[in-house]
Amino acid sequence: MYGVNTQIEQALEILKSGNRQDAERAIETLQRVVYGFGMKVCGSHEDAQDTAQETLIRLARQLRDFPDARALSVWLYKVAKTQCLMSRRKSKFAPAQMLSLDALMPKDSVLSPAATKTLPLTPEEIVLNQELRGRLEDAILALPKHYRLVLILRDMEQLDTREVAEVMGISEETTKMRLHRARVFVRNALAGYVQDLEKGR
Amino acid sequence: MRDRRCKRIFAMLSDYLNIELPAKNCSELELHLKDCDPCIAYLESLKNTVEACRRYQVRKIPASSKKVREALMLALR
Repeated sequence: MYGVNTQIEQALEILKSGNRQDAERAIETLQRVVYGFGMKVCGSHEDAQDTAQETLIRLARQLRDFPDARALSVWLYKVAKTQCLMSRRKSKFAPAQMLSLDALMPKDSVLSPAATKTLPLTPEEIVLNQELRGRLEDAILALPKHYRLVLILRDMEQLDTREVAEVMGISEETTKMRLHRARVFVRNALAGYVQDLEKGR
Repeated sequence: MRDRRCKRIFAMLSDYLNIELPAKNCSELELHLKDCDPCIAYLESLKNTVEACRRYQVRKIPASSKKVREALMLALR
């Protein structure tokens, strides 16, 4: 279990307490979180910036209506998610469709050593490997939106299953099902990258 | 993937990685993995995919807009 990012909770606590001295830092933390979420979901700077602006302005109106920072964090993602889905100026949204686990399941031949080879995953490589970043971004943006949102919320924003279900307005079982299919979809896309590396590209 | 058992195990892999798999299924999965290299390899690659997602960070975050800062600072009063 990961839970909503403690940085968000701390930022919201600062704002709720009315601490003006730390408020600017807290606002930039929230900007980083919501803009970052918008970029991952929409893949477009303009839409991510619109998402951050609309969400944080709504937050200003709601700041005092929530009993605790955790509830407010979940609300924040809920609003940001809705904003992302509304702002489609440049966003890439794959057509809504169901991902079938059967179709995603690899055949024997796909499970070659190359396909299951460990990805280059030292922190430096993830941060610096531009091609891997690009492949990951493309794979995520190719996911149908309801799978994409679940994967981003759970694996990138590191909310727990219950929180993702709450943000999405779906059951925990559906959350788990979508998460698994989304992970397999992305994993299969990245396997192509590893195979290309094997071929010496 | 080899057979029906692999297919059943395949559906459980994310719950297993999330430590959300019921104990009974967990034992079944671990027993299966003892004897199934393709499933072990697939699990490992899935784990690495999750790790790549966790480590991914958006670069170049712009500062919040003036409108946002004003609205939030006003809400503090």
